[in-house]
Amino acid sequence: MAPKKDPKAPAKKAEPAPAPAPAPEPAPAPAAPAVDLSAVKVEFSADQIEDYREAFGLFDRVGDNKVAYNQIADIMRALGQNPTNKEVNKLLGNPSADDMANKRVEFEAFLPMLQTIINSPNKAGFEDYVEGLRVFDKEGNGTVMGAELRIVLSTLGEKMTEAEIDALMAGQEDENGCVNYEAFVKHIMSV
Amino acid sequence: MTDADKFLYGDRSAINNPLAQADWSSKKLVWVPSEKLGFEAGSVKEEHGDECVVELTDSGKKVKVNKDDIQKMNPPKFNKVEDMAELTCLNEASVLHNLKDRYYSGLIYTYSGLFCVVVNPYKYLPIYTEDIVNMYKGKKRHEMPPHIYAITDTAYRSMMQDREDQSILCTGESGAGKTENTKKVIQYLAHVASSFKSKKDQVMFPLHQGELEKQLLQANPILEAFGNAKTVKNDNSSRFGKFIRINFDVNGYIVGANIETYLLEKSRAIRQAKDERSFHVFYYMLSGAGDKLRSELCLEDYSKYRFLSNGNVTIPGQQDKDMFTETMDAFEIMSIPEEERIGLLKVVSAVLQLGNMTFKKERHSDQASMPDDTAAQKVCHLLGINVTDFTRAILSPRIKVGRDYVQKAQTQEQAEFAVEALAKASYERMFRWLVLRINKALDKTKRQGASFIGILDIAGFEIFELNSFEQLCINYTNEKLQQLFNHTMFILEQEEYQREGIEWSFIDFGLDLQPCIDLIEKPAGPPGILALLDEECWFPKATDKTFVEKVVQEQGTHPKFQKPKKLKDDADFCIIHYAGKVDYKADEWLMKNMDPLNECVATLLNQSTDKFTADLWRDMDRIVGLDKVAGMSDSMHGAFKTRKGMFRTVGQLYKEQLSNLMATLRNTNPNFVRCIIPNHEKKAGKLEPHLVLDQLRCNGVLEGIRICRQGFPNRIVFQEFRQRYEILTPNAIPKGFMDGKQACVLMIKALELDPNLYRIGQSKVFFRAGVLAHLEEERDMKITDVIISFQSWCRGYVARKAFAKRQQQLTAMKVIQRNCAAYLKLRNWQWWRLFTKVKPLLQVTRQEEEMLAKEEELVKVKERQQQAEEQLKEYEAKQQQLSAEKLALQEQLQAETELCAEAEEMRVRLATRKQELEDILHDLESRLEEEEERVTQLRPKIFVPVHPIVVEILLHFRPKC
Repeated sequence: MAPKKDPKAPAKKAEPAPAPAPAPEPAPAPAAPAVDLSAVKVEFSADQIEDYREAFGLFDRVGDNKVAYNQIADIMRALGQNPTNKEVNKLLGNPSADDMANKRVEFEAFLPMLQTIINSPNKAGFEDYVEGLRVFDKEGNGTVMGAELRIVLSTLGEKMTEAEIDALMAGQEDENGCVNYEAFVKHIMSV
Repeated sequence: MTDADKFLYGDRSAINNPLAQADWSSKKLVWVPSEKLGFEAGSVKEEHGDECVVELTDSGKKVKVNKDDIQKMNPPKFNKVEDMAELTCLNEASVLHNLKDRYYSGLIYTYSGLFCVVVNPYKYLPIYTEDIVNMYKGKKRHEMPPHIYAITDTAYRSMMQDREDQSILCTGESGAGKTENTKKVIQYLAHVASSFKSKKDQVMFPLHQGELEKQLLQANPILEAFGNAKTVKNDNSSRFGKFIRINFDVNGYIVGANIETYLLEKSRAIRQAKDERSFHVFYYMLSGAGDKLRSELCLEDYSKYRFLSNGNVTIPGQQDKDMFTETMDAFEIMSIPEEERIGLLKVVSAVLQLGNMTFKKERHSDQASMPDDTAAQKVCHLLGINVTDFTRAILSPRIKVGRDYVQKAQTQEQAEFAVEALAKASYERMFRWLVLRINKALDKTKRQGASFIGILDIAGFEIFELNSFEQLCINYTNEKLQQLFNHTMFILEQEEYQREGIEWSFIDFGLDLQPCIDLIEKPAGPPGILALLDEECWFPKATDKTFVEKVVQEQGTHPKFQKPKKLKDDADFCIIHYAGKVDYKADEWLMKNMDPLNECVATLLNQSTDKFTADLWRDMDRIVGLDKVAGMSDSMHGAFKTRKGMFRTVGQLYKEQLSNLMATLRNTNPNFVRCIIPNHEKKAGKLEPHLVLDQLRCNGVLEGIRICRQGFPNRIVFQEFRQRYEILTPNAIPKGFMDGKQACVLMIKALELDPNLYRIGQSKVFFRAGVLAHLEEERDMKITDVIISFQSWCRGYVARKAFAKRQQQLTAMKVIQRNCAAYLKLRNWQWWRLFTKVKPLLQVTRQEEEMLAKEEELVKVKERQQQAEEQLKEYEAKQQQLSAEKLALQEQLQAETELCAEAEEMRVRLATRKQELEDILHDLESRLEEEEERVTQLRPKIFVPVHPIVVEILLHFRPKC
């Protein structure tokens, strides 16, 4: 039997909504926020907001209709955005690790954050990533060693955890342990 | 990886370690000077004007450093780089760090542009085996890891290719490994240049090819026995410089060799510092000589010799006794005969005995006397001279005053001095004779040498607290060698720039050294130090002090000359050498320059009954009489001038020798090897940073780098440049093929570099120092940016996948929930309960239907069965019919066969019958013959008789019918 309701694919782009939902006063982050979220104009349609709320709800593990700081980034990602951790931390006012785990945000405060991220999308594209990974292509044959890729992703930039990388790399390596990075990037960007 | 590989290639896997790379770019790592470690790594935290706050990486301490003291660190790409000229940040700290890093990984050879730098490992490394020699044979320098073999092979190949003489110059402090590396060069050449040998050659030259190489290798142990000694720094320190010239013929075979030696430290034969030894041969002889030899040489116990200041000092891991045998074996291989060997050892023993001659001051006069002449007798016995003459020559020699000879009694000091001078001179002459003898042995073949490789093994700059005449000589030598290097580098750079078609303005730094060289060697206008010293030697009443005054007067304003700061210095003057300021003390310089000797004794020796001794003292013209030296004698006024020009001073001789050497070297293509001593404890795996830094400064490695920096030291071939830095100029190069140079031009244009920072040649891009580091930094930042952005996509991907999964789980949960809820609702509804009860019964009604369907199916199956059976029957019938037919045919065949048999029988019968009939025919014919015969017998009565034979014949030919 089919599920009762098909969840709509998360919106990838912000469309100017004809009837903007009333923007509730965002709960100011305790630490002085680096971004003035109150000035952000939320421009989502009612439908979108409904979808977002549902997704948001999925992350609430306590039941207080809030999510932890450290879940914010993942919700945004679930909703089709690709923020860096730094961007999200900035939105949250660069909280401490403790705050990340313990402080919580309600849905109304989340919306302007999401809007901010949507307003400043990641500028790099497919070509940039392929070129970036080509640097590690020692043979010049369009592949990199999976092990190398793991090291790169876990040691450079915003280091990824082993669990994240395992989820990411599942089924990407060929029998020689190599990854065709062009296909890889395409795959990553298609979901 | 084999054992040897470890010491050749090392582990450079870290260079691509992104972690290190990230560290370098994010932390702004730099080097700051450190008292203990030379330099310490740190990261710049804050900058205030000229001051920086640097956090030290190891200790985490924060220190304030002046900006000028900070040296940039190279990107990790350059860790343990094989050629330091590639370093983009060329500074002392980076060079030291690289050498240290490599040394700790067991890599002792490193290139620095033209130099090969080698750090003494103080242990045996498995990198000198025959396999390794073969590995390096014929390879280009950049194809193999740094090694002395690579340098040697390069020299050998270019000698063969360009027909140009080569030289390999090893310099460095004592104990740095010059001699060891020189030996490796010879080993390599002996191996490579004789492995070409062909059978033909051996026939043409009865001297076995291998023998010359063997002798060449054996020259070293002999030279070492007589010219090396244990010092504090080095257990096997060469106490002389040498230039070994190996001659090759047009085919590249070794045809001979020649050794020239420089500046033997002969004073070691009479005096040694604490914990040091005299020349090895003394100990070898005393430990190794057999009883017969001992008495022949009048040997005594170690403790009996005054000239062995420290008695029997042994060298760990070396048996002097065995070494004696080895040295004698080497003589054997060198084909130096027994009597010459004994002659040498007699001189060695005599030198020791000379030390045991003691003099006393006579009670009433200043005259010296010799109460005990045992030692003198032994000396005279060993050298084949008359003891009375000898004693007289020492105690009251005949000297020339004006035109007359007079006997001049000597004081105790004078006599002692004379004996010491005699000992030194004997040893030196013996050493020189030995070298000549070796050269004679090594020059046996008649073949013409076409070209040669010269190997120079000479001490580097020596800078002690106070330095004497010997240091002046060695520093003067190094000044000239450095000039040669600078000049070579200048020429090579010029060639590279020209080859690449680059405009350049390179300064010949060789000229930098000329003033200092002039200061030492210029003969006149104003005279240099050596000339002044000679002049002073001619001068009666001259002393070391007057010499210094003269130098100050003539050269006081020379830019490379400094007067000492009177108050605290003991030095007499300073020279600003290339390697730094050196303080010289002029004590005894006149004496050292004249190197005077008792002429009477020399004459005695010249006329010795011992052939060997007489041979040693054959030439007498360069001897400066003892009496000629100021201070030694008070009655020599005016006598000296007549002799001027007849002998030459030590300085003069050395200057001449050196200028010959330089002339030789200038006509060769030089290869430079810089040896470095890592610590003064002879310990493996320890590198004293300041000690090494001092040497790097002295031996020109750092200076070479400084000069390099004036040009465009970083060169990178187009292909690599594009591969590595294309990421910095994303859209500069259009898709598709593009020529390397063109691509690089576009890239550099896109990078907007100052035109002064780069040049584009024919195959490479040239950069000023540091530009590549900057590009590297930008590249890192760019990569990090891309990676971060990509990581955010990756995280998005992972999060979305996780989210989709969670949504599916949610949906599934909802389905379950709905069903549960429905069940709960219906559970107590009567109709539902009824339905659930009835539902199983509903199955019964359907059974019949199912049976029906089954039966139908059965019918169908039966029908098919029927059909199959019928078909089967049909086929069987057909088969029967066919087999009947087959039977019939077989019967027919049988009948035919029988018929055939009958016919055959008939035929046989007929044949028999025919035979019978033929037989009958024969009978009848023979009867007919008989009848005819009878007829003929009857006929003669009627006809002319016919001879019966004719009839027979006729009958015979009658046709048979």
